Amino acid sequence: MDNGINLSPDLAQNLQNLSDKDKQDLNQFIMAEGIAYTMPRRHMDIEIDRSPGQKAQIQQTVHSLTDMCFKKCVTSKISSGKLDRSEEPCMQNCVDRFMDANMTVIRHLEQMRTLG
Amino acid sequence: MADPKQQIMEQVRQQAALSNARLLVDKLNEHCFERCVPKPGSSLSSSETTCFTLCMEKYMQSWNTVSGQYLGHVKRGAGGAGAGSGGGGLF
Repeated sequence: MDNGINLSPDLAQNLQNLSDKDKQDLNQFIMAEGIAYTMPRRHMDIEIDRSPGQKAQIQQTVHSLTDMCFKKCVTSKISSGKLDRSEEPCMQNCVDRFMDANMTVIRHLEQMRTLG
Repeated sequence: MADPKQQIMEQVRQQAALSNARLLVDKLNEHCFERCVPKPGSSLSSSETTCFTLCMEKYMQSWNTVSGQYLGHVKRGAGGAGAGSGGGGLF
């Protein structure tokens, strides 16, 4: 997904005139919002983390979980705008079991690592 | 002139919201087109349109349910099962 931001040129220009404290604040903000940063480096002389930050990562996971669980849980004909009595718990279980599965994989890998 | 820092933060927020919304629209279309328009005709029938509306509502509710459930896990420190749903939806 293209998560990059594009600042307007005049704003980009302004970046160079920011105080160090402002730059630091901005950097923290961008890390938390988690947007892949696509501005040319020279506009900011501070480190930029290019990986998506917390918020964007969580949102991304929610999207892919919804995608997956909707496919699994909403299988009957769509006749109402609300999740029915079986679909809602199914969505919740779907998330829970995915986390369990995730944990199982991690534990197994961990085991493989320690056993060599 | 407005504070450039605030201006940039605002732009970042807007673009993040935009890309989130775009992703949701993509997913909505993907799922609901699949479900509601099995055999595309010369135009969208009224039943297809109704199905789309319901499907969109259902998908958004699903998003919120998943969001609440997943955030619960994240807050509890990833991993392990657990009952209980939280709020924390967008819609």
